[in-house]
Amino acid sequence: MTGPYQGALASVARQRGILGAMVVDANDDIIVDAAVRHGVKAPTVAALAASIYRKARQSAGAAGLGDTTFLRMEAEQGHIFAAGRGALVLIALAESTVNVGLVRLAMLQAASGLP
Amino acid sequence: MTVAVAETWVEEPLRRFVDEARVLFALLIHPSGQVLGQHGFTRAVDVMSASALAAAIHASGSAIGKEMESAPFGELHHGGAARQIFLARTPTPRGDLVLLSVFDRSSSVGLVRVYFEELRGALAAAAPAAAPSPGLAATFEQELNRSLAALFGRAEPVGQPVPDA
Repeated sequence: MTGPYQGALASVARQRGILGAMVVDANDDIIVDAAVRHGVKAPTVAALAASIYRKARQSAGAAGLGDTTFLRMEAEQGHIFAAGRGALVLIALAESTVNVGLVRLAMLQAASGLP
Repeated sequence: MTVAVAETWVEEPLRRFVDEARVLFALLIHPSGQVLGQHGFTRAVDVMSASALAAAIHASGSAIGKEMESAPFGELHHGGAARQIFLARTPTPRGDLVLLSVFDRSSSVGLVRVYFEELRGALAAAAPAAAPSPGLAATFEQELNRSLAALFGRAEPVGQPVPDA
């Protein structure tokens, strides 16, 4: 893998149970770079998750809580994680059995290294 | 969200798109400029202007695409300071249609693209039986006026496809 975002993507994607990781433009909700398993509807997941992250950011700001650093959505069969930095959002899609703590740590570290 | 249609089969797909993509304006037209449905416009003259401009932009984009890639461009996005436009072609059994949508920061081009893909599928499924696309014929202006009248409540929308020109 090459490119400025591949390090961040690889550090998240190599966690057990991760189905895909994407770097998404936080304003346009469009994928900048991604490493996802076959069958993942990456553009759809990216657009919707980045949109939710943006709303969460606005909500936290409106509540006076500061910036949103990490967001986890739990569904019946898995999780969606999001961590932002500047104009980018790192999004990961994971199975329900994933180690949430490890993924959170990996996501925050990877997001802090985004350009 | 309120949508007005000149042909009833586009109503539900367009309404769903407007609801979910959170666009401010939506205009579904035939490439000739004939309007099938709209959301957000309050004056017929604005619909006329927007549909004429959208048809022209689509025609230009198609021509440039053919020059550069031997195929028409499918989508066009223009990001403005406060508002953005997304213009895209959607094939249906009744021929190609063009969607013009305008959105602000409450949506995004990524979201609009996602819901546009759903709109494409819904329109393709909802379109009446295949019929040649209407061309610019002697009845074009009449059809244009009829669709504008239907959009603004001066005529009933048709439940059947527009008769072939």
